[in-house]
Order: sequence, then C-alpha cells, then structure tokens
Amino acid sequence: MFQPSPPRFLVGIEIAVIKVDQFESVFKSAAKLNFKRQELSFQKIAVVTDLEEAEAKTLAARVRAFLQVLGDGPEWMVLDRGQSERVEQLLGLVTQEKPELLVTYRNLHSAAWRWPHSLGPRLDVLTQATRCPVMVLPHPRDVSAFDASMQHTEVVMAVTDHLVGDSRLVSYAASFTEKGGDLFLTHIEDDAIFERYIEVISKIPSINTENAREQIIKQLLKEPRDYIESCRRELKEEGLDLRIHSEVRTGHHLIEYKQLVEDHSVQLLVMNTKDEDQLAMHGLAYPLAVELRQIPLLMV
Amino acid sequence: MLPETTFAAAQIGANAAHQQVVPLSITLLFAALFFGLVLCLALEEKLHAKKSVIAGLFAIICLTLGAFMELLPFGEVTLADGHHIKLPVFIPSIDWGVVTIILGASIFVDVTSKSGLFTWIAIKLTKLSKGDPLLLLVFYGAMTTVFSAVLNNVTAMIIVGSLTAVSLDKLGRNDKLLGFLLIEGLLTNVGGLLTLISSVPNIIVGTTAGIGFVDFFVKSSPYVLVVTVITIWLGARRFGIERLASEEKAEAAERVDTFDENDGIESIGFFWFGAVMLVLFIAFIAAASFDSWAIGKLGMGFVAMSFAMVMLLRYKSEAHTFYSAVDWDLIFFFAFLFVTIYVMEQALVLELIGRGFAPIIGMGEKVGGGLLLLVAAIASSVTDNIPISAMLSKILTSGNFQTPADSPLWWSVIFGANLGGNLTPIGSASTLVAVTIMHKHGLEVSFLKFVTLALPFAIVHIGLATAYVLIWLS
Repeated sequence: MFQPSPPRFLVGIEIAVIKVDQFESVFKSAAKLNFKRQELSFQKIAVVTDLEEAEAKTLAARVRAFLQVLGDGPEWMVLDRGQSERVEQLLGLVTQEKPELLVTYRNLHSAAWRWPHSLGPRLDVLTQATRCPVMVLPHPRDVSAFDASMQHTEVVMAVTDHLVGDSRLVSYAASFTEKGGDLFLTHIEDDAIFERYIEVISKIPSINTENAREQIIKQLLKEPRDYIESCRRELKEEGLDLRIHSEVRTGHHLIEYKQLVEDHSVQLLVMNTKDEDQLAMHGLAYPLAVELRQIPLLMV
Repeated sequence: MLPETTFAAAQIGANAAHQQVVPLSITLLFAALFFGLVLCLALEEKLHAKKSVIAGLFAIICLTLGAFMELLPFGEVTLADGHHIKLPVFIPSIDWGVVTIILGASIFVDVTSKSGLFTWIAIKLTKLSKGDPLLLLVFYGAMTTVFSAVLNNVTAMIIVGSLTAVSLDKLGRNDKLLGFLLIEGLLTNVGGLLTLISSVPNIIVGTTAGIGFVDFFVKSSPYVLVVTVITIWLGARRFGIERLASEEKAEAAERVDTFDENDGIESIGFFWFGAVMLVLFIAFIAAASFDSWAIGKLGMGFVAMSFAMVMLLRYKSEAHTFYSAVDWDLIFFFAFLFVTIYVMEQALVLELIGRGFAPIIGMGEKVGGGLLLLVAAIASSVTDNIPISAMLSKILTSGNFQTPADSPLWWSVIFGANLGGNLTPIGSASTLVAVTIMHKHGLEVSFLKFVTLALPFAIVHIGLATAYVLIWLS
C-alpha cells in the first residue's frame, strides 16, 4: 500500500508502530477464510477417446460405472477416434456441446503413453483451453493399471500447495467421493522454496532467523489446518457422509504426494489446473499428472 | 523496597526541617529552567529526543545548581518508625507509589493481553455488530472507553485501532477508517477519566488530593458515559457512518463471521485465569484506596506490582521480555520530573507560579475552577500533561491554597489535563497512535487537519466538562 511520508510530529513513536503491527497481525490471523461448498452441476459428461466407436462406447460404460457417485442424472456423450483426431475439431465439439466434465486419458492418438514424459498435445490443449474440469484416466492400453484404477472413488485426495480459500477444489473432491468414503485434504509447503526464503532471512541482521523459521512455518501450516477444520464443519452440516482427513506438512511436492497416494491407496486425485495464470498447471499439477499415471486424476 | 508511606513520611520530615528564604533572583533562575523544561517537552519531536532524556538533563542541572546554591535539605531522613537513614536527596523526591502503580499495571496488562482476553472481547463485539458500520462504531467506541479505563490509553488505542483497520478492510469500508480512528482516539482521553488509575494525571492528582478509587469512579463515570454517547453520535453524523441497507446485511454479517475469537487464545486455562485476575485487579485497586486495612496501607502500587508478579508466573522463564516491553521512557521521565519539581519546590518556584494562579483560584470554585480547567486543557494540548498535572497538584497543596480533597479545583485539573489531549494530535500519546494508524493505512493527516477535524469534538468535551465540574461536582 502507498504510504505518504510521516508528518514530523509522528517521528519517534516506533514502539507504538511495532505494537500496532503486532495487534493487526493477531486480528488478521483471526480473520479466517472459511470453506463454503459450491454447488456443482454434471448435467452433461463427455468421454473423449482415440478408439473406434464400439471400443469407445465400451470404455464410456466403464467410466459411467466408475463414476457412479455422480448418479444417473448426467447425459453422457462419447467422442471416438474420428471426432478427436484434429485438435480444432475436438475443441469445436467441446465448445458446441458444453459438457460439464470431460473424461479422457493421456497421449491421445499417440503411442507415447508408455513413457512418463508428457500428457500429449490434445490433453494439454483440453486442460488449458476449456473451462470445464478434465478427468484423466490411466491409458486403456495399460490394461492392468486401467482395470485396477476403474473400481471406486472411495478414497479421494485433493492436492494443492495453497488450500486455504480453495472452496472449488474441495467441493469437487467432495462431490467425487463415494458415500462413507475418505476424503484427504492435503497441503504441502515446498521445503525448497521455504529454505530459499530462510536463507535470505538469515542474511538480514534485523530478523532473528530461528524465530522467523519457527513462526513462519507455524503460521504457514496453521492456516490450511484451520481451513480443513472449516471444511469438516461445513461438509458435516451439509449432511455429507464422508471422513475428512488432514495432511498438512512441508516437503518435496512430488515425493510427498506419491508417498501419500501409496500410503492411503488413493483412488482419485483432484488438483487445480484452471487458475487464470495457469500457475497450477505450470507448477504442481503438470509434473504430478505426468508422474502419477496409475490412478485417475481430476483437473479442475 | 520501602513502602510509599515511609518515603512520604521521610519527605515530609525533610521538608519540615528545611525552611529557608530564597532570593528572588534564584527563584527566577529556576523558574526559567522549569519553563525551559516545559518548552523542550513541547518541542520533543523537533528536538528528536525522548522525554526521559530531556527531563533527566534538566533534573541533573537543577540538582547540581540546587546543591551549589544550598537549596537542598541534605542529611539523614527520619522514617515512620523513628529510625534515621541516609538517602540521596533525590530519592525521597520521587513519588514511588505512582511509579509502582504505572510499572505494575503496565506489566500486568501486558501479560494479561497474552491470554487473548482483550482480543477475544474485541472480536466478539465485532461479530456482534454483524458488520453494520454504525453498530461497529458504537461497540468500538464503548470498547475504547472501557479499555482506556481498565488498561491505558495507548494500549486501548493500539488494540481497538488495529482491529478497526483489519475489520473495516474485511468489510470493504476503508473509506470510514479516518472517522473511526479519530473518534476512537478522542474517546481514549474520555475513557482515561473513568478511574483513578486510567491515566497518569489521574494518579498524580488523585493521590495528591486523596481522592479514593471508588469516589473517583462515582464522580467521573456519569460524565464519561454521557460524553462517550455524544461523541459517537456526533462522529456518526460528521463522518456519515450509518446502518446498512437490508440487502447488504447478509454479506456483511458473513464477512465478520469469519473472525475466530479463539484464534489468539493459546491456553484456555490462562485465558480464564487472565479474566479472573483482571476482575480481582480492579477490585483490589479499588479496595486499596481504603487505608483502614493492611492492603490499603501498602497502597495501590503494591497491588499493581503483586498482580504483575502473579501473572508473570505463567512466563517465569521469560519474564525479562515483559520487562523490556515496559515504557521505560515514561518511568524515567516521571522519576526525573519529580526530582525537578522537588528542586523547584525548594527554590520556591512553585510558590511563585502559585501566586500567578492565585487570581484565577481566588475567583472562587465556579469561575476559578472553570478557568483552571481551560488553562490545564490548553497547556496539555501542546505539552505533556504529566508535568502540568504534577505542577498544579503541588500548587493546590501548597501552603498558599491547601485545597481540600472535595474541592472541584482538583477535578478541573484532572478533566483539563486529560481532555486537552483532544485538541491536537500531540496532546496525548493515544491520539498520536491514532494518527500513526491512519498514516500506516495511507491516510494523510497533517497537524492542522487533525485539529480541524477534532476541534468540534474537543470543544464539546471541554465545554461539557466545565459545566459538569462547576455544576455537578462543586
């Protein structure tokens, strides 16, 4: 905020300024962002494949069974090989039909699914050029992974490095968790970035490094924990039969999430990719989507 | 530490033993030094010097000159039990009772605030307002008055002012911040009138006059209540702070509902301990004004220090952090000021100033009292109200006047010294904090702008105080 230079008569009351700042910090910390469940609609779902029509329909049936949590309400449409081959045509169809969820898999029209290096150009475009969420399944040719993953959504995990205030992400994750299931709300602070800031702080004489480390990490982790508590309260009040679990910690994103997925046998991972600046896609989401090829991902 | 009554007796003994004639030239020399001190305190910011350093320098000069000119009563002092002890001449000149009240109360409030009690109250009231600006002003105004009475003006302004900035920002009402902060700043000085320990001038004048805690509260509270209501009403009109339209209410309520009053509470046990101790503190301070029992004999300073020590048990291994947070500038300023005033007393400067006040006081309790209140207010608006109230108290107790405890003249000094702070931004530390918060949030408030905004309120405050003292308290 712009601050005019202080009038002469204010010089010399630094102690009061420090105390005002301390109390403002107390009140700012008390002003919390609470979870508010967003109403989500899944009237039309499009399954995008690179299979011939018959195979595509079979796959769509599997997807429908897998997403039983969405009930019988949605209208399902299936895009086969011919309809998804050209990117312009695919985007045109999505724009025209306005599905509220796209279900597909990585490396459409490519054999590169065998190597964990990319999502393929069509999926890159779909995640960034469309506004609706995209569910990425394991590739159907990877039969063992596909079969193993297409069972249930009883264990769902929302992943982010900025959970506080992200009602949209939590609402999607809650909507895809089956009744009586486990919803893991996670927040991993990247320790490499944190250490970089602490290193800078350690070179500033007026800041006590150890105190800064202790206080910053305490506050960084407190905020998502408080937010998860508000999610728990609100979802309970809404009558959702879910067990909410909190996983808030520091660490290396990819390593921590891979570990969490393994430890809790997660069946669906929900992550942000639709923020305006595409920061999520360029930061946390893309490497996760590339690396975690064995379970379905929901990119919202 | 010796009890304050011992020092009082010692001081009386020393004074009684030292009666001498002082040449007028010497009295005028010391009067010039005293005027220099008051002037330097008024120009504190321009000199860029802390007031304790200014007062300390003048105390050293006065003591040295006083010693060389043989004005000071050196020798042993006699204690209440008849024992004689050797003390530096400046030690008994300091009112240790007042110093211990300020020191003890300051530590007690600082430790109690760590319990989260005050922020809990502040956030509860914010939520109770449901984000309605007018209700928020009423609650914050009332809270400022009460906090100023129970804590101290500066702490009250810091707590309420910082919450105001955060909550108005949350409500998207930053355009009302100036009005809120100004009203709160003015109310700190009104709330500072509520009890004997609410401000330093109250402590100095009240203890000198012998006004008890309960008596003080009974006499000042009607004025404080009425003026708080009038200030909030005037402020709401002046700054256009109104109730919300019905369609805005739900969103505003939702925004303030996100405040969690329990966020600042680290231990629920300590929170309740703090609340109970605060109630007990006020009760014991009130009871200490009755000197017919042991605690009353030990005095309010003893109560304040005792409560501070009990609260510090919670932070026993880090008590030093609370000691370092004490406003030592105020404590040292206070000690040096009393040393200076003691020398002035010996040099008969106070008697000389008293002669100047004699025509005013001689006009009787009504006209004289009114004029005294105005003089105290105007003087307090440009310089520190502590030397003003200390000097006027000494004059009112001097041989020339010997003002009785029930005289309205004491109240003229109390009201004038407190309310004068509302005339200018430098008139009191709490209004200075209010302007600091304004500046922190990008509101440019010059000296003149503050005076322009605050003057109508200050005139109402001082006008009502004059009427109240002359009609109600005489």
